[in-house]
Amino acid sequence: MKKELGIDILNSIQKPARYTGGEFSSVIKENATVRMALAFPDIYEVGMSYLGFKILYHLVNKMDDVAAERVYAPWVDLEEKMRAEDIVLSTLETKQALCECDLVGFTLQYELSYTNILNMLDLGKVTVLAADRKEDEPFVVVGGPCVYNPEPLAEVFDFAIVGEGEEVLIEVLECYKNWKVAGKPGGRKGFLEKVVTIKGIYVPAFYDVSYNADGTVAEVTPNNALAPKTVEKRVVKDMNSIDFPTAPIVPFNEIVHDRIMLEVFRGCSRGCRFCHAGMVYRPVRERKPEVLKELARELVKNTGYNEISLVSLSTADYSCLGPVIEDMIAEFKKDRVSVSLPSLRIDSFDVELAKKVQEVRKSGLTFAPEAGSQKMRDVINKGVTEEDLMNAVGAAFESGWKKVKLYFMIGLPEETDEDILAIADLARKVQWKYKEVVGQGGGQVTVSASGFVPKPYTPFQWSGQTELEELRRKQFLLKDALKMKNVSFQYHDARTSIIEGVFARGDRRLGKVLYEAWSKGARFDGWIEHFSYDNWLEALASCGLSQEFYAQRERGENEVFPWEHLEPAISRKFLWNEYQKALAQTLTHDCRHGTCTGCGVCQQLGVEVVDWSEQKS
Amino acid sequence: MKLRLQITKDQDIRFISHLEYARTIERAIRRAGLPVAYSEGFNPHMKFSLASALGVGVVSKAEFVEIELAEPTSPLDAANALNDALPRGIQVLAVDAVENSAAKLMSVAGGAEYEIFLPYDKDMSTAVEKFNAATELTYEKAAPKARNKVKLIDVKKFIPAIGLTAANGVVRLHFHCKITPSGSMKAVDLLNTLNQYYALELPINKADVRRLDLYRSDEDGHIWPMLDSIYKSTK
Ligand code: SF4
Repeated sequence: MKKELGIDILNSIQKPARYTGGEFSSVIKENATVRMALAFPDIYEVGMSYLGFKILYHLVNKMDDVAAERVYAPWVDLEEKMRAEDIVLSTLETKQALCECDLVGFTLQYELSYTNILNMLDLGKVTVLAADRKEDEPFVVVGGPCVYNPEPLAEVFDFAIVGEGEEVLIEVLECYKNWKVAGKPGGRKGFLEKVVTIKGIYVPAFYDVSYNADGTVAEVTPNNALAPKTVEKRVVKDMNSIDFPTAPIVPFNEIVHDRIMLEVFRGCSRGCRFCHAGMVYRPVRERKPEVLKELARELVKNTGYNEISLVSLSTADYSCLGPVIEDMIAEFKKDRVSVSLPSLRIDSFDVELAKKVQEVRKSGLTFAPEAGSQKMRDVINKGVTEEDLMNAVGAAFESGWKKVKLYFMIGLPEETDEDILAIADLARKVQWKYKEVVGQGGGQVTVSASGFVPKPYTPFQWSGQTELEELRRKQFLLKDALKMKNVSFQYHDARTSIIEGVFARGDRRLGKVLYEAWSKGARFDGWIEHFSYDNWLEALASCGLSQEFYAQRERGENEVFPWEHLEPAISRKFLWNEYQKALAQTLTHDCRHGTCTGCGVCQQLGVEVVDWSEQKS
Repeated sequence: MKLRLQITKDQDIRFISHLEYARTIERAIRRAGLPVAYSEGFNPHMKFSLASALGVGVVSKAEFVEIELAEPTSPLDAANALNDALPRGIQVLAVDAVENSAAKLMSVAGGAEYEIFLPYDKDMSTAVEKFNAATELTYEKAAPKARNKVKLIDVKKFIPAIGLTAANGVVRLHFHCKITPSGSMKAVDLLNTLNQYYALELPINKADVRRLDLYRSDEDGHIWPMLDSIYKSTK
C-alpha cells in the first residue's frame, strides 16, 4: 500500500502543507492499541477551524493506549494524483491508511459535504457501504450537527454518536478497546451490540424503516432487542467540569479561523425558528468567567496566537461578557493579544464593547437581521426591530465604522415580494443613517442573502422549501432593488440550497442517490465550481426519487419524519406550536433569563439553563 | 540586543512556504515568552527577520533568524526556550547575540551551499564538465507574474562549479551559490539551466534540494560562518 506523497506530487499541488502534518502540538503516538481517525470531509483549512475536533483530539489523546489522528479531504488536484498512483488516504500523524485505523469518525457539518465522506472512505481503501465492510475494516462513526438526521448516510456509517461527544466518545473508545483486547468476540456485530448499549449511540442497521404508499415514512422500528426505540442526545451538564483543550494544534498555513477559539457557552435559546443549532444544542450552559480567563491564559501561552475569539452561537448573549472582555483586554495587552467576537446581534449590540474588541483592528461590523420586514422577523421569531438596527448601526457609524455587513435569508415561509423589497429599504435606511450621523454619504453596506433551507427539528420542518425558479426570481428582485451606490450584494447559487434541502430532510432511500452522484464524480459540492446540479437531478431520477418530494413538499401535522428516532429532546408539540405561532406572526421569548417556554429539553435530559449572572458561583 | 539563531527546516515540513515558516517562528517566539521588541504604531509588528527566503520543498540546515529584544536576556536560555516552543521540524542549532545596531543578517549573507539528490540513471558527467568549464551561461526564466517577460540569470556568476557523484540511479549535485546585494538564484534553476543547455531531461519535479549552509564571504572568496557560537539542541 503506497502512502507516501512523493516530492514530485507535493511539488505539483496547491498548498502542500495541508498534507504533511508536523504542526506544533500535534500528537504522535507510535504505540497505541486503538487508533481513531478524526476525519473532516472538507479541506484542511476548513477542518482545522472546527472546534469540535479540537476538543475531541485533545480528549482522546489524553487516553492511555488510544490515539486520535487527523485526516482531511484532499483537494481535487491531489485526489487526481492519488488515484493515478494508487496512493491511499492516510492520517497526518503516523500516516495510518484509513483502512488501517480502528475507527474512522466523520463529522456531519453540512449536507453538501456528504459525498466527500464517501470519497474519503474510498481513497482510504475502506469499503464505502457498511453492509459490505469486512471483519478487519474500521468502524465508520459519524457525529456533529447533522447527526439529528443522518438517514441519507445510514448505509455508510456503522454507528453514530448523537449529541455532545466529550463524554460519550471516551466511553465508546473504552468499549472498543476492551472488545479488541478480548479478541473481538462476536465480530463486527458483537461490537455493535456492545456499543449500542451506551446512551447516545445509534446503529442504523438495528432499525427497519417502512414506507407508506405516498413515499412518506410509516414507521422506524428496532430489529435488535438491544437497540433503544429512540436515541436521545448526550449533553454535558456542567461546562466548567469538562476539559477544554488549552494546547490546540497551531497550523503552519493560514486556516479559516486562525486564532484562539474559546467557547464561552453552549446552546442558544433565543428560539429563532429557522435555526437548527438553536434547537438542537439546548439548553444554554455558560462557562464561569474565572474558568474562561484561566483557559485564555493557558491558550495564549501555549499557542502564540495574538487573537482570542470568544465563540458560541451568540456570544453577545453571554451574561458576563462585558467584564470578561475588559479583564482579558487588560491582562493580555502586554502580550499584544486582542479579543474578538465572531458576530454581533443587533439587540444586544453594545457599541462601547464593540469599540473595545475592535481596538486593535478596524474591520467592518456584521449584523444579522435575517429578514427585511418586521412581519418576517416576527415569523422567524427574530426579536429585533428596525429601530434596534438603526440604533446599532448609528452607534457604530458614530464610533468611526464605515462599513457594515447585513445578513438575510430569502425564501422564508410566508414571504412576499414586499418582504424582499424591505431588505433593500433597510439597506437604504442604513445609508441614510450614515449620512445623518456622519454628515455626508459614503457608508458602505454589504447585503448577503442566503436561500432558506428548512431543517429537521426546527419549527419549519413541516414547511415546503421555496422552489428553484422562485428562489432565483427573488434573488433577482433583490439584486435589482439593491442597485444603489456603495451597496454590494452577495448571494449563493440557489441550486445548492435545493440539494442541501433534499438531504437535510431526507430518508434512507437517498443513500442510493448519494452513492450514484458520487460514482458519477460528485464531491466538494459545497464548492460551487465542483457542484453539478444536473448530476444530482439525474441521480435522484435514476433512483425514482425527486427533489420536490424532499424539499418542496409541505408536510402534514402528523407525518412521521425519517429522523424521529434520533432525539435532540426538543418536543414535537413545542415545534408544531412554534410553527403555528410563526404563521400567526407571534413571538416566543428567550428562556435564558425569563421563564421556561416549554421546549422540553431540560426536563427530558435532566439538565438546566446555566447563566452565571443569575447564579452564585 | 539582538539574538541571532541558526535554525533548521527539516524534511517533514519542507513543503511549508516561506510565509508559513515565518509565521511559525513568530508564534514560537511568543510561546517561548522571549522579551521581543515590537514596532510602534497602530499595528505593531514583532521585530524579527529571516536572513533569506527558502523555496518551498527545500530542506535546510542553515536558516537564520534575527530577533530584536526589548530587554537583554541570556542567549542560551532564550535558545532553549525557543527550541522547546518550535514544532518538531524546526530546531535551533546555534545562537549568538549582537548589538541592535549591527547590520541585518540578511545583508551579510554572501553565499549558500547546496546538495541536490535526483533519480537519474544516465551519465551526466560530460554535462557537468562542460558547465564547470563554461565562462558564461544565461538562463531565461519566465517572470512569475508578467506574461511574455523573461528574467535573464547569469548562472555562472552565482554558481561557478558543481560537484557530481552518482550511485544506484540517484545523482548528487553539490555546489555553492553566491548571494549578492542584488540577489541570488534558486537552486532548482540550476537544474533548469542544465536541462536547457545540455538536453538532460533531469526530473526537476523530483529534485530533493537541501541547503547545507549559509555563510558570510568577502570579495576574495573567503567564507566564514554567520554566527560565532554553537549550541546543543535539547530536542
Ligand atoms: S426546557 Fe425550557 S428552559 Fe430548558 S431550554 Fe427548553 S424552553 Fe429553555
